[in-house]
Amino acid sequence: MLKSKEVTTDWDWEINGRTRYWGLNLQELWHYRHLSMSLVRRDFLLNYQQTVLGPFWLLIQPILTLGTYVLVFNKLIGVSTGSLPPVLFYLSGIVLWNFFNDTFMGTSFIFRENAQLFSKVYFPRLIIPISQMGTQIFRFGIQFAMLLAMLAFYVLFKDYALPTGFLAITTPLIIMLVGLTGLSLGLIFSVVTAKYRDIINLVTFGVRLLMFLTPVLYPVNYVPENVRWIVQFNPLTSYFELFRRALLGQGVVSPESLGYSLAFTFLLLFISIGIFNKQGDKLIDVV
Amino acid sequence: MGDVVIKVEELSKVYRLGTIGSGSLRQDVARWWSTSVLKKDDPFYYPQLSENQEPKDKSQKAFWALQDLSFEIKQGEVWGIIGNNGAGKSTLLKIISRIVKPTKGVVRGKGKISSLLEVGTGFNQELTGRENIFMSGYILGMTKQEITAKFDEIVDFSGIEKFLDTPVKRYSSGMYVRLAFAVAAHLEPDILILDEVLSVGDAEFQKKCLGKVKDVSRSEGRTILFVSHSMQAVSNLCNHALWLQKGRLMEAGRATTVINNYIKGVKKSQLHRTWDNLVEAPGNDFVRFKSLRLTPQFSDPDAPLDIRTPLTVEFEFWNLVEDQDLSIGLHLFSYGGECIFDVPSPSFHCKKGLVEGECTIPGNFLNDGSYYISLIVVKNTSIDLFYYEECLSFEIEDYRGDIKWFGKWMGAVRPSFPFRLEQKELELV
Repeated sequence: MLKSKEVTTDWDWEINGRTRYWGLNLQELWHYRHLSMSLVRRDFLLNYQQTVLGPFWLLIQPILTLGTYVLVFNKLIGVSTGSLPPVLFYLSGIVLWNFFNDTFMGTSFIFRENAQLFSKVYFPRLIIPISQMGTQIFRFGIQFAMLLAMLAFYVLFKDYALPTGFLAITTPLIIMLVGLTGLSLGLIFSVVTAKYRDIINLVTFGVRLLMFLTPVLYPVNYVPENVRWIVQFNPLTSYFELFRRALLGQGVVSPESLGYSLAFTFLLLFISIGIFNKQGDKLIDVV
Repeated sequence: MGDVVIKVEELSKVYRLGTIGSGSLRQDVARWWSTSVLKKDDPFYYPQLSENQEPKDKSQKAFWALQDLSFEIKQGEVWGIIGNNGAGKSTLLKIISRIVKPTKGVVRGKGKISSLLEVGTGFNQELTGRENIFMSGYILGMTKQEITAKFDEIVDFSGIEKFLDTPVKRYSSGMYVRLAFAVAAHLEPDILILDEVLSVGDAEFQKKCLGKVKDVSRSEGRTILFVSHSMQAVSNLCNHALWLQKGRLMEAGRATTVINNYIKGVKKSQLHRTWDNLVEAPGNDFVRFKSLRLTPQFSDPDAPLDIRTPLTVEFEFWNLVEDQDLSIGLHLFSYGGECIFDVPSPSFHCKKGLVEGECTIPGNFLNDGSYYISLIVVKNTSIDLFYYEECLSFEIEDYRGDIKWFGKWMGAVRPSFPFRLEQKELELV
């Protein structure tokens, strides 16, 4: 198998005690791509095998949430949705928020949930969050299709005018950015929850709190000027506004706030992958 | 052949039980505050204690799973890793498999490694056999092409064709193991790492697996590292062996030599031990042993200690707490670390002072081989006060009388039970 004897000093690999922040090996990740796809497939099969409605559950949850929001926030409390029909306004928020929420929550407990597997076999640990992301993109796709169908319904039967311009093509980009933000946050918390069990409570509570600081239920310009900075401090805000603007034609986004969000997302992504790599090997001893 | 494919240099692994993280954020913040901000001593740090001293809190003990291990493995060699429980065998395999990081030292290597530390890694109960073959294959590092190419072979080897599309949760445990091993057996790494995986499954399948492993190493020149408690399997399969004890490398070399030395080393009889003063005696604040003695009850003083000889274990210990109800448990282990029996004494009301006791293991009961004894002191028949592990060890020679067969006598024990044979009828001519 080995060609000559004098290559004894050329080692293919080396294992030592050092852990590095930038141990990201893309070639290795690529080698395990089938594992990733297979994990996505497994998640899908496990969730919908032996169920009555199968993937339709994915639609029922946002529809029920939509009903509640329209009833409570629009009809009872009277939160303005601007010029948009409440159904479209809330549904777009719900669908995008679900995507963020699920990528974040799905990634947050990776070490805890896979401790058994991680202690028995080596593969790049990043495969698990990547597959998790894949599953969430798939779920989001179904919900997003429902949003588009709803939009089409409004255009066809309710004389709703689609926004003009090419902003709509930025939608996939925004979705990706929201997903990456969720993933990065999740990676950081996966390390934290592996070390400290008590943080789990904070994660579930915190993400719910974050939703109210994100323009899911209200447009940003509905927030009083003097406290608007709180909402704008949230990097997700500009993504949500841009998402609505691109799809439905209403939303307030300034280049500065978008720049802030982009910087936040990419910085967080870098940091989180670094932390995940650095801590990933050590955590096996702790979990 | 002959090229070094794994080179291990000064490998050490420390598990700092309880000090990596206290498990709660509040304590870790408190610790960070006192060490980094107030510059006080780490409240969780305990200086290295000498061996006889018990640390104040057991959870703070640093545990050296591996200590300064260096060895080389050449291509095509099959290595058996042997040693008692807790010798660091699995830790070593986990480090080479990249699952845990070493504390110190380096492992360098050439070629692709696959490790099988458990049967059925990555299997999911809900998925079908077919799906699990792929799932498990991917997790073990196979590519799609490799699995597809080997698929029929895998199914064939496992013999579960009919149930290929049934979820594995409906499989019998035997079928499950067969399928899981079949996937792993068809891995094609340059270096294969196996941890005790052959100890599952039925005898016939085990034989098949051993055969497969043998084939692979012989015909394809694959390097194999293999952990097992079964000396039989190691001597059968491996040409080299590595003997670990308490994290240290005792010996590495030809399998037959190492196995012999291992058995001998463990066999080194420790028949009596005494301690003169309380400080040195093994024990703790409750009890300390004064002496331990294993006396063979020879009928003839020149006779060897063989399977017919009754053995008496005598012990004395200081009871350091007034009025305790104590009982002693005698655990007998084979050199492989398998517990043969656990005999408890009746509970005894002890005053402060010296207590003595004995227990006799009858003759014609144990098989030939090496054994060691651990003693446990139990309070109120429920609370473990002190466990003195491997305190005595001894070797029992074989004795067969007029039996003309010389193979290894099977079984952990060799009791002589009454047998009756008699001629019932004579054949009528």
